[in-house]
Amino acid sequence: MTNPTTLAERAHEKPPFYRDATIVKWIIQVAALALVLFSLFFLASEAGDNLRASNVPTDFNFLDVDPGIKVSEGIDTNPNTGGRALWVGMVNTIRMSIAGIAAATVLGVIIGLARLSSNWTVNKVGSIYIETIRNIPLLVQIYIWAAILASLSPVTLEQGPIHGWIHLSNKGLSLPRVFVSDGFYQWLVVMIFGALVARWVHKRQTAIHDASGHDTYPIGSAGGVLLVFAAIGWFIHPVFGFLGGWLDQVAELIDGTPEFGVQLALSAIFVSAAVLWIRSFLNQRRTPAGPAQLSDDDWFRMIFAGIGAAIGVFVVLIMWPGLSSWMINSSRDLFEVLGAKFGDGRDGAPFDAMRPDIVKPGNFANYGPSGLNLTIGFAAVFFGVVLYTAAFIGEIVRGGILAIPKGQTEAASAVGLRRSTLLRMVILPQAIRIILPPVGNQYLNLAKNTSLAIAVGYSDLVQVGQTIGNQTGKPLPVFAIWMLFYLAVSLTISVVVNFFNIRLKIVER
Amino acid sequence: MSEESGVALESATEDDIDDKPILKPEEPSLPPGEWVRKNLFNGFFNSVLTVLTVFLMAIAARGLLNYVFSEERVWSAPATNARLILTFAYPDSQYARVWVTVGLLAVLTGTSIGLWAQWAGVSAKKLCFWSMNLGSAILLSIVLTQPGVHRDAAGEVLRDADSDVIRKSFSTAMSDRLVWWIVGLAFIGAGLLAWNWLGEMRRRTIRVPSSFLIFGSLGLVVLSLWVVNYGHYAFIDGEFIAISGRTVATTTKQPWTLMWLILVGSFFLGRQIRKTERASSVKGLLNLGWLLSPFVIYWVILRDPAIDYSHVWSTDLPLFLAFAIGGGAVLWLLSYPGIGEAGRLAGVGLVVVAIFQFVAAFAGWYPMLQKVRLSFVLLALLGLAASNFSGERSQRIRFVGVWFVLAALLHYFATVMNAPATVDVVSENFTGGLTVTLFVTALTLMISFPLGVVLALGRTSSLPIFRIMSTTYIESIRGVPLITILFFFSNILPLFLPDGMDIAEFAAIILGYSLFSAAYLAENVRGGLQAIRRGQYEAADALGLTSPQRTSFIVLPQALRISIPPLVGQVIGTFKETSLIAIIGGFDLLRIGNQVIPAQTQFLGIKRENLLIVAAMYWVITFAISKYSMRLERRLGVGER
Repeated sequence: MTNPTTLAERAHEKPPFYRDATIVKWIIQVAALALVLFSLFFLASEAGDNLRASNVPTDFNFLDVDPGIKVSEGIDTNPNTGGRALWVGMVNTIRMSIAGIAAATVLGVIIGLARLSSNWTVNKVGSIYIETIRNIPLLVQIYIWAAILASLSPVTLEQGPIHGWIHLSNKGLSLPRVFVSDGFYQWLVVMIFGALVARWVHKRQTAIHDASGHDTYPIGSAGGVLLVFAAIGWFIHPVFGFLGGWLDQVAELIDGTPEFGVQLALSAIFVSAAVLWIRSFLNQRRTPAGPAQLSDDDWFRMIFAGIGAAIGVFVVLIMWPGLSSWMINSSRDLFEVLGAKFGDGRDGAPFDAMRPDIVKPGNFANYGPSGLNLTIGFAAVFFGVVLYTAAFIGEIVRGGILAIPKGQTEAASAVGLRRSTLLRMVILPQAIRIILPPVGNQYLNLAKNTSLAIAVGYSDLVQVGQTIGNQTGKPLPVFAIWMLFYLAVSLTISVVVNFFNIRLKIVER
Repeated sequence: MSEESGVALESATEDDIDDKPILKPEEPSLPPGEWVRKNLFNGFFNSVLTVLTVFLMAIAARGLLNYVFSEERVWSAPATNARLILTFAYPDSQYARVWVTVGLLAVLTGTSIGLWAQWAGVSAKKLCFWSMNLGSAILLSIVLTQPGVHRDAAGEVLRDADSDVIRKSFSTAMSDRLVWWIVGLAFIGAGLLAWNWLGEMRRRTIRVPSSFLIFGSLGLVVLSLWVVNYGHYAFIDGEFIAISGRTVATTTKQPWTLMWLILVGSFFLGRQIRKTERASSVKGLLNLGWLLSPFVIYWVILRDPAIDYSHVWSTDLPLFLAFAIGGGAVLWLLSYPGIGEAGRLAGVGLVVVAIFQFVAAFAGWYPMLQKVRLSFVLLALLGLAASNFSGERSQRIRFVGVWFVLAALLHYFATVMNAPATVDVVSENFTGGLTVTLFVTALTLMISFPLGVVLALGRTSSLPIFRIMSTTYIESIRGVPLITILFFFSNILPLFLPDGMDIAEFAAIILGYSLFSAAYLAENVRGGLQAIRRGQYEAADALGLTSPQRTSFIVLPQALRISIPPLVGQVIGTFKETSLIAIIGGFDLLRIGNQVIPAQTQFLGIKRENLLIVAAMYWVITFAISKYSMRLERRLGVGER
């Protein structure tokens, strides 16, 4: 210290660059980013070398080639391309997830309510269920279900061809198949119109109830309206055949759009979105004293938005000009397909049903195609994920309801509400806000857990992908497809849950 | 710290730590008739519900009992393969090593319970209830289980003309179960007698130590090995042995008895240590023991490495000494209080050197032992942290001592892991079953915990690039199912490694589990981090702490305490998820029950029995952990403040 100075004077000195917090922070971050990028780049280049050395180029060609495999169940058991096989797997995963989520929700709510019951036996049954199921790995449970189902009696021709509505054997479960028939799309149009009317009725009845206090049964009347429309639609739906022509015209219109126009429109959308976002961002940061000091973080976000828009424009205009023609083609195809579904003068019932049958194509009897056949694999995974997830949902429901302050119940009782009304109008609306986010997480878990299907041979995406990956020696692209698909599923579920979350949020003053 | 020792001193004066009762105001118990009316039959709807539930439960219980005690069940399949389930194909000649392992775990467990446990004990009232409930359950089971079958002299089941089994009549069956009638009635009688004899006040105040109950019931199980005729079933050196009507083999009951004695002995040892002043240092030692136990058990005890001592003297030891002394000197200098900027820059320099070693390795510039690289990483991390530990001479000595111990452990285990195993192994993995399940769980948690904490800090950090990288990692891992990640690591990872670098499939699997688990763990820790109030940060800043100091001494300790319940949930989750090893080709507990045993000629296709046993094993361990976590939560008062 040649010039002894006071602390206050030294505070105005500029520190050396290696002590400047802003600079050091950015140096560290950029260094870390560079390290990560370098590692990734290095690993990727090694993978490229190794793949070239082993003569297995990593490409997605197998999507268009006959995979030479059979899928055990699904919309197409004999797919002619790899892409089709993976699509069948995806549909199976989605099917399992949706069925599982529906069943697990119902069972979970029942169990959660049982755990809250004042009845000692019901309460105990609920807790025994939860403690048993929760503490055993899901995969063990799936294996146990598969083993139990495999030990059922075999199916024989003597039991068929049609033996009741439900048939259970070691080949699985056969149920009546309800399917969408010719008149479905026309009927759907009627139903959409009906839903709008029902919504209006619901609003009106609620308004009357709020104004006068009379019982107006808004939900009941809306449901009634919907039923009436369903019944009417069943008979008058052929009238809507003319929609087919309209949709075809829309398809022609899209077909005539110039490619460059779409490219420009997309670029404009990207740029204006970025500009709008930055503007609103700056407005948020504005204080009464003028524009606020922007932090590193804010700058980073704005630069990020700008770069994002630039990348978007670059992709659309230069890197992948085919994108716009692809968009034109696919939306034209979509409308053409829809147009064909309506067709002119088509009719027939919107739905149809067939009962299970038993056939014997070779040496062994099996379920024929007319029933809705669930293999052992499906049933094992289904029972497994539903029972497992229901245990967790049960605990969430119980926790959510218990989290409502006791005063709410007491106040509602003091007003003179019946116990059922109290639950429906006071407790549940508040509890659902607490319950929904963790339940959404459970839905996500369920969708991911369906991938355990590979253990019992149910053809979900992972199982089909694994088979194709092994056969073509290209596990890497298959992994990329898995990743994208599951991320899309996760995203979809969180978007849906978030939508309800926002709708249910308490609007504060 | 001071609080803890205060508790220890206070309790040292008491005779039995367990017996410190937590007296809570208790609701007066209702007479039985009134209890039933209040809880089961209050109102029409509830009465119907009760009757219906009881009826359904009776049917379910009957189904389960009939299933378990059915003459078609082959319980000898899991019994014969007990060794396979626990340790897979570990050679019989070397089995003493397994017992050493169990003994080590028994010592650790017993001492830990003795040192740490603060059990309140079980009230006599509860014990009376348990006894009566157990007795009633036994009686109910006797009545509900279907009558047994007739067997001929050879033990074969007799069948009638339609090849249906012939069951005994109900009255014969009941008289067959005379012993169980007596046992059930004895439990009920004992409960009732104790209940009446003790009286209301003593029922509540008398408490039986939990340790006595737990070790006592384990002792009863061990005792039953000597008394009850479980039968002797085993594969010994490939030979199939099935002798019913005698107790289990001596090679089973003797070691287990020894293990029980060790457990109880080390419990009392822990108790004695707790009363002394050395308790806290022994606790530290035990923590270290638990942390090291997976490595010691797997690589030293079970694998019995053939260490090449000439190589040790010529290379390994000099290398270690060079690192220990050189690194020690560097750290000693870096922790000098007046070193200032230079120390910080030197720390950064060490990090750069450590990273450069890996870059050089990947690029193949010059060869180098892996442990040298890891030593550099360790040295660099300690070097960065050195300024936090600068101060008094004794503090600096302790800091350098920590480096010595860590370097010694690193070099020792690196040597041991690289030495070939002397244990003869049948398949490429020398152990499997429960051992592998537990080992993967332990290692996964150890790797993923620090990683998860770093990711959580990254995600809550104010530095945008760190935040984006952490968030991207966490969200993309959480978005995909575990099984796809495991496939990636077991099939695809080798593609990414440079020439000459190899990774064992087992290591790849553990890596996959760890990276997956870290993402979830990070979210749990993040919950804790976000619960820390702003005032804590501001207070730390006001004290002039640097941001690493603020994070490691103020924020993280509080955040981790808050996130204990979800972290225990994570432990349970990881333990359950290890069952996925069965799909990707490892021989874990589940794979053996589901595929290995059903493939044996003696037990062809016997699956359900094994699976039920495996499920029961998972259940017991998981249930124990979750019960423990509930106690822990209550004790720490998480969520109460």
